[in-house]
Amino acid sequence: MFSVQVVENVLQSLSAGLLLGALYGLMCVGLALIFGVMRVINFAQGDFMMLGMYTAYYAFVALGVSALFGSFVGPYLAAFVAGPILFVAGYFIHQLLISRVSGTRTAQLEGEGHYAQLILTLGIALILENGGQIVFGSILHSVQTPLSSSAWKIGPIWGDMIEIFVNRARALAALLSVAIICVLAVVIAKTRLGKALRASADNPTAATYMGIDVDFAHRIAFALGVSITALAGGLLAPNYPFHPYVGLEYVIIMYAGVVLGGMGSILGAFWGGMTIGLVQQLSTLILPTQLQNTAIFVVFLLIIFFRPQGFFGRVVERT
Amino acid sequence: MLKVDNIRAGYSSVPVLKEVSIEVGAGEFVAVVGPNGAGKTTLFKTISGTVRPRNGRIEFDGIDLLAVKPSRRPHLGIAHVPEGRQVFPSLTVMENLEMGAYTEAGRRDWNANIERILGFFPVLSERRNQFAGTLSGGEQQMLAIGRGLASSPKLLMLDEPSMGLSPAIADFIFERLIEIRRQTKLTILLVEQRVAEALESADHGYVLEAGQVVLKGTNETLRADDRVRAAYLGM
Repeated sequence: MFSVQVVENVLQSLSAGLLLGALYGLMCVGLALIFGVMRVINFAQGDFMMLGMYTAYYAFVALGVSALFGSFVGPYLAAFVAGPILFVAGYFIHQLLISRVSGTRTAQLEGEGHYAQLILTLGIALILENGGQIVFGSILHSVQTPLSSSAWKIGPIWGDMIEIFVNRARALAALLSVAIICVLAVVIAKTRLGKALRASADNPTAATYMGIDVDFAHRIAFALGVSITALAGGLLAPNYPFHPYVGLEYVIIMYAGVVLGGMGSILGAFWGGMTIGLVQQLSTLILPTQLQNTAIFVVFLLIIFFRPQGFFGRVVERT
Repeated sequence: MLKVDNIRAGYSSVPVLKEVSIEVGAGEFVAVVGPNGAGKTTLFKTISGTVRPRNGRIEFDGIDLLAVKPSRRPHLGIAHVPEGRQVFPSLTVMENLEMGAYTEAGRRDWNANIERILGFFPVLSERRNQFAGTLSGGEQQMLAIGRGLASSPKLLMLDEPSMGLSPAIADFIFERLIEIRRQTKLTILLVEQRVAEALESADHGYVLEAGQVVLKGTNETLRADDRVRAAYLGM
């Protein structure tokens, strides 16, 4: 027989998993956008997220966002400041560095410049991590908001026996993530820019024949992908203290999420991230917390074993 | 309208085109024929910019084309319908056509163009919301041609529209091309291995062999030429 306690724990973990999963999903979408359009493996994605966290932090404490908007709205506004700033950073990093080893420049090369891309993005990752340590120091930072230590109570339900607590900061972050993804999905599906990005992803040469500047499309995709992941970092910042090497912890999760969703599928990446959030939280019901990541990768391997193309991946070859 | 002058081009150290010159006048239908590996596709890629020539000149409407970025060339009025169709598989039929209309002129004339394209190829209308990757080869070719027309081009370049299609479908595509030309008076540059059909519909043509123009002339001269008759027309 089910004990009420077990049901309560499951529901509690489920809600925590959904909230965290939405944020992971947003991170993964940023990475998937870059991979899907450019076919570039970006190892520095986690570190751009770290930059997003610090940008949100400094926008909050130093740019006066906290003084002007208080500590309830402030942290979220700060995250939305980090997005555009990292968009600009991503735009110029693509222009200065990434475009040298990707896009039409390397389209004719063997391996399409993938080796150089791997080394370059790894290099950027190292520079951001070490540079971050110099600039931000190695102590943990966090964006302080009373929301992260308060919760909404759902219930009591089921004959007054079950109560679930939903952390307010996490709930807000999850709702904002979902909203951003909805906006992005519409942009990708319906706008001229979104269609041009998808066409460039499908067949860069044919896209050039249509008059689409593929390198510019890549630049927009890269900047957008970086800014979305950075925004996710900013939304995560009130709940998870961070340090310059925090990107390493998340980049693995991001890649797992993107692969689960199906390489290149942007919506799939969201569900991949969501799956990881859920597995991570639900695993704590039966496993010690230290084994969270083990649980993630066991489930990851199982899914990939049965469905190698991921949830939304296409099996057909690109023409 | 298009003047290709002494173009040399190739991949890394392999020369493919050796001093090729062709000319296409406004309103003309010009065919370039020749065997596999003669450099026909490379010639097209040089015109649309995905291959950079070593030397030579390309002029389009009096503009030095080699000074124009490849992604800007379609905006000047050059539509390249590539070899192997190369539709966007994960975009729908309509979205493919919209991408064809990415040029300024294409956006301006969208309503008239789309009606015309779906008139030429009614099957595209039936499949409008289907992913292009799920179309048959013939339908993809129709889409690729439609996508080219959607840009409101001055010059339509077709690279082997019959490749990989059944003879019946290939005949249909040719018949449609003639109809398109009759209705739109579009300038067409066609590369084809089906030499008989290509020369029949063209005003004049070039025979390209091993990267060189070995023969040029009007439709009648080429079809009467003994070498062409022996090598390509099987007579």
